[in-house]
Amino acid sequence: MITVKVIVVVAVAAAVLSTAFAVGSQSFVDFLATAQDAELRKNTIGGHSAGYGLHETSGDVLDPISSYNTASEEVIIDPDNYLRSFDYGRISTLADGSTVREFTLVADDRQTMEIAPGVFYNVWAFNGTIPGPTLRATEGDLIRINFINNGSKPHTIHTHGIHKAEMDGVFEIINPRGKFVYEFYAEAFGVYPYHCHVTPIEEHISHGLYGAYIIDPKTPRPEADEMVMIMNGFDTDFDTENNFYAVNTIPYYYMHHPIEIEEDKLVRVYLVNMLEFDQINNFHLHGNLYQLYRSGTSMVPNEYTDMVTMSQGERAILEFSYKYPGQYMFHAHKTEFAEKGWMGLFMVKDPAQTGGSDGSNSSRLLETKTISGGLSS
Amino acid sequence: MEKDEIHRRLQPRWFASAKMVAVALVPLVVLAAMIAFIFGPGQQFLGAGTPLPEISIERIEFQEDGRIIAFIRNTGPIDVTVAQADVNDRIQQAAIEPSKELPRLAEAKVIIPFPWNEGEPYDIGVTSSDGTRFSKSVNAAALARTPDIGQAAFFGLIGTYVGVIPVLAGLLWLPFIKRLSLPKYRFFLSLTAGLLVFLGIDALVEGSEIAAESVAGVFNGQILIALVTILSFLALMYASVKMGERSKKGRTAEEVDKLSSYDSMHASQAKTLDQQHHLVVKPVAIALMISIGIGLHNFGEGLAIGASVVLGEIALSTFLIVGFMIHNTTEGLAIVSPLAKTKVRRMVGKLIIMGLIAGVPTIFGTWIGGFIYSPVAAIIFLSIGAGAILQVVFLIYQGMARAEAEKGRIMSDASIIAGFAAGMLIMYVTGLMIPS
Repeated sequence: MITVKVIVVVAVAAAVLSTAFAVGSQSFVDFLATAQDAELRKNTIGGHSAGYGLHETSGDVLDPISSYNTASEEVIIDPDNYLRSFDYGRISTLADGSTVREFTLVADDRQTMEIAPGVFYNVWAFNGTIPGPTLRATEGDLIRINFINNGSKPHTIHTHGIHKAEMDGVFEIINPRGKFVYEFYAEAFGVYPYHCHVTPIEEHISHGLYGAYIIDPKTPRPEADEMVMIMNGFDTDFDTENNFYAVNTIPYYYMHHPIEIEEDKLVRVYLVNMLEFDQINNFHLHGNLYQLYRSGTSMVPNEYTDMVTMSQGERAILEFSYKYPGQYMFHAHKTEFAEKGWMGLFMVKDPAQTGGSDGSNSSRLLETKTISGGLSS
Repeated sequence: MEKDEIHRRLQPRWFASAKMVAVALVPLVVLAAMIAFIFGPGQQFLGAGTPLPEISIERIEFQEDGRIIAFIRNTGPIDVTVAQADVNDRIQQAAIEPSKELPRLAEAKVIIPFPWNEGEPYDIGVTSSDGTRFSKSVNAAALARTPDIGQAAFFGLIGTYVGVIPVLAGLLWLPFIKRLSLPKYRFFLSLTAGLLVFLGIDALVEGSEIAAESVAGVFNGQILIALVTILSFLALMYASVKMGERSKKGRTAEEVDKLSSYDSMHASQAKTLDQQHHLVVKPVAIALMISIGIGLHNFGEGLAIGASVVLGEIALSTFLIVGFMIHNTTEGLAIVSPLAKTKVRRMVGKLIIMGLIAGVPTIFGTWIGGFIYSPVAAIIFLSIGAGAILQVVFLIYQGMARAEAEKGRIMSDASIIAGFAAGMLIMYVTGLMIPS
């Protein structure tokens, strides 16, 4: 009689608990989810190389490495467009015959935009993109930058290079709604960064207020396929460590959108390291070596290599051409950075075979998918 | 005329109950108006601070075919969208089921194809759409056990070794207990209380650790432990009182007579039939309550063992099993102590059942802990166990206090104090053999 009562009490308690347990358990939620999901979407992930298990899912795929399925209007930059865009300014001539190149840069700090697939961040940007536009002039030109601070915090433009003290963008703080005109002569040819220099500088740079400008030598460099790559990153959880790394902001972008170049054609990369928080960054090229012109201030290369390591603010010009067609990686050889987004592909095309195959995104995706799993160096 | 009269007579009653309902509803109406105001025009005054997202990774599973599964839950104040997943802070391709959008408290399963290595530590992370990363570490990756016959048998064997056999072995102390003089008996009864208090504290500490490590803040794990412990104590208190009352009514006078004749030691103290009765029935009830309490405790212990094996937190060494065996043998002693004055021959069957009640839950614990571990369920079971154990301790001392009523000194009796201290120390020392 006693035992029966106890067993009943225990059984009721067990039943209540196990029900609570079942309701909370994953299998029950899965069961409900499957029951609700009338139109079953099936995607597969993994299985691209040994050890990575193949998985078929009815849920969502999180894959910033080999796909890019974000709404483009929310993205801070189109890396394809940025790569080969150069702003030569509005050109006029002074009485003494020298060329004036006039640019307008507007700083803003109030937008939240996508900086990595699915990740939104309060971006501080020049002209609404990170990096800001690449300005370009020739040695001897007068550069005039009309700066407008359209943000909610003070900002400036500090250009690296030779100029007067008051044009340095350090002591003349431009408050919100303020304007300033920076003027200086393009003196030493080379590649330079520009960035906001308001304290805390770390904050203003890591949020995205930077870009590159190029001063071409009077005698131009040889004709080449030119592109700008700014090595950068984002600390989205504010722990003074970057969560994402890339060239030109979007992690892995050039993995699923390989940069098309031609076999035997000279490629010139204007490379700038603007990476905040980390001591170094580097650029490693696969299947090739490049001529390295540090700071781009000489016509004689410093080194013939496939690796260059830079600290923040350092930059270089890289020149190379590929002998063989195919896909070649480029990435930080600090593999941590590579595996957090700083990797990309050159697609070297045989000019004789180029034709209608351009823009076939799906075939690119298929090809890159097999590579995405393992990073070879 | 008649209808009107009836109506008039009924109306006040109807009116009174309506008024009653209305009065009960008034505070609720005021509350509803207040909530409507806060969500409506009041929002602008109260919009202080930015709500931050929070995702808890509750469990991580390593699967044979190169997949890591993270079970996550949105435990923050706002809906979240998961943007990315990573292994050791390196971004990986992943799938999330049922959806990357998680409403408040919703669960999801993140599947990451990854060639993980047995025994290595891993840190698994997910990043929400605002760029915040949430992660959980695993000390040593171990293959997730799938509930097949072989695994169930393996866990069953472990449960039998650490739960069933030691408790049954401990029951063999009964003849020893029976031969003890009253002061020595009191020492052992108090020792049992010491053992139990240790187990109760152990369960609370264990539950608190799980709550701190694996249960999201939103569930208020520590409060849940206190709540369940108290409720379990009260429920079992009620059950034991009811059991005592029922057994009094259920037995015939002859039965009581027969039983009381066995109880020679207490017969002198027993003044009335009722009192006599009480003393005869109570030890069995106490022993049963102890075995139930220990059973719940062992269930929690089983959960912890099963989960630890699966989560790769402990290596199931023979040393660990031996440690648990020695530790749990003392639980058998706890069950038999109240039965010292009861006839053995009548008790053998009941004793075995009580031993099984105390020991077998370990097996169920290892199965549930190993196959479908849930930290919230674990702390609930541990707290029920703690409440049950504390209730048993209460019963033991209540019994002793009644027997010692005339002397009026329980906590000043040397054998009782010494027994309690010895019980706790035995548990502590045998507990040292369990590597954690």
